[in-house]
Amino acid sequence: MLLQLLANGIIMGSIYAIVALGFALVYNTTRIFHIAYAVVYMFAPYMLLSFYHSLQMPLIIAFLLAIIGTMGLSLLIEYMVYRPLNRINSSLNVIMISSIGVMIIVINIIAMLYGNETKIIHQAISPSVTFGNIILTYIQIAQFVISLTLIILFLIYLKYSGFGIKTRALRDDDQLYTVMGMDISNMRIGLFVLSGFFAAAGGAMVAYDVGMDPYVGMPMLLNVVVAMIIGGMGRFDAPILGGFIIGILQSLAVWVFSARWQDAVTFTLLILFLLLRPQGILGEKQRAV
Amino acid sequence: MNYIIHIVIIINIYIILTVSTNLLVGMANLLSLGQAAFYGIGAYLAVFALMILNLPLLPALILVMVGTALFSLLVAYPSLRLKGDYFILATLGFQLIVFTILYNWVAVTRGPYGIPGIPAPKLFGMLPITGLVPFLILSAILAGLTIFIFYKLIHSPFGRVMKGVRDDELAVMSLGRDVTKFKIWAFAISSAFIGIAGMLYATYVSYIDPTSFNLDEAIFILAAVLIGGTGNIKGPVVGAVFVVILPELLRFVGFPDSVAANLRQIVYGLTLIILMRYRPQGIAGEYKIG
Repeated sequence: MLLQLLANGIIMGSIYAIVALGFALVYNTTRIFHIAYAVVYMFAPYMLLSFYHSLQMPLIIAFLLAIIGTMGLSLLIEYMVYRPLNRINSSLNVIMISSIGVMIIVINIIAMLYGNETKIIHQAISPSVTFGNIILTYIQIAQFVISLTLIILFLIYLKYSGFGIKTRALRDDDQLYTVMGMDISNMRIGLFVLSGFFAAAGGAMVAYDVGMDPYVGMPMLLNVVVAMIIGGMGRFDAPILGGFIIGILQSLAVWVFSARWQDAVTFTLLILFLLLRPQGILGEKQRAV
Repeated sequence: MNYIIHIVIIINIYIILTVSTNLLVGMANLLSLGQAAFYGIGAYLAVFALMILNLPLLPALILVMVGTALFSLLVAYPSLRLKGDYFILATLGFQLIVFTILYNWVAVTRGPYGIPGIPAPKLFGMLPITGLVPFLILSAILAGLTIFIFYKLIHSPFGRVMKGVRDDELAVMSLGRDVTKFKIWAFAISSAFIGIAGMLYATYVSYIDPTSFNLDEAIFILAAVLIGGTGNIKGPVVGAVFVVILPELLRFVGFPDSVAANLRQIVYGLTLIILMRYRPQGIAGEYKIG
């Protein structure tokens, strides 16, 4: 039982990790508290549903198109909302509240088009394999392998590619970044696209397993934010660590208490970290926010 | 006519919510995403006072106010050590913890089953306030009282210090004021009045369950304050009227019921975005949140 829960926790943790990466990618560089990320995450499964069910495309192509569509939404939010606000030097709180506005709008558009009820993408029960005491479905294994691959590819990309170096430069000091003659607006296009990619990958994979409704984004966003904070702000490996910790801890919460108290455990952890170690596990003391 | 009275009562409840939230958002620049938690605690404390202790109206009201204010200290002490995003996150964390407890501690709160049959509060222990018109009067008195007290507060020395804290914390500190103490007071006062709103809601609807006090409600209260405007009294009042009347107006436009609820939300969302872009102080406010 414990091993099974641990395995489930690690797999869920890998999903949290990639979704948290997408959030951290925007938060660490632009400082925008991107609440609308919740709907970016939620948008992907609905795209998948449309391409896969309504248009009868093969699963792989539907997945790719869903991810591309979601990256488009992420970029659209940047173009239509964040960029105009940035141009008039709005404060970060103002941007965050606009982000809430975006979230409300997208959730309700999706609810109008697809309905409020839970939608299932994959009807049949997934076949499973047994390792000793642990039973894993094929979907879970795919989730884990894909997430892990994405994480590793991203970390390599971040370390060695030009984009990765620029991302880290922007994170460290946005003013110096501009002084070096580089264009932040251009860079942000890449960041929002990549962030949308991670949200879409996570959202589509989770929804393929358990289905979705228009409100799945917010709980995921909250978990991901907690993962980012306990991992450590201002780093890109930290949300991965945090994601795994949250995944495993929530599984253990099921074992010790019951599934009902999962959220209470997560957010008590958040408060404890905010109070005792606001920079997170891996983080160093931050410049003032 | 009953319909209009009902709407006015709801507006009164929201006026209490927004005017007291404004003390945090517009006077202290503390964006709190935990207001629905205090609202809920007020409502559940009211149930405790009215159904278990059988208190009359005024003692129950005092118990609710003191209880909610004390609870807010539990949130204020840790949260106020944090700045910016961290503060917002801490209030959000408390909001979710309170909701989870209200929802899952079935033995005490009856959780998702809710609490039905909340009795009408009794004036001086004998005159029960039932029916729409007495309730309208009660809610109007409480909303008027809230407006009056917060108006006095904002224009008192306390209000001036709060504005100072909001605009330049360091300057206020250098004048020898204990900034944290003022913020904690703001938290306690604002929560006490939100508790009143919770009590009004519980006794008016006579049924409560935790879903009325979830994160969506917290966002809604904050949105109402920001749409109306922050930093003065006019703003939050306009906000409360706006968010309550808007869906009723949309109802008359004749959208089908299936999309009306979504459409209303979309209008809120759009209003928020457009206001933040062109008028960050809200419709009638004077402080641009920063």
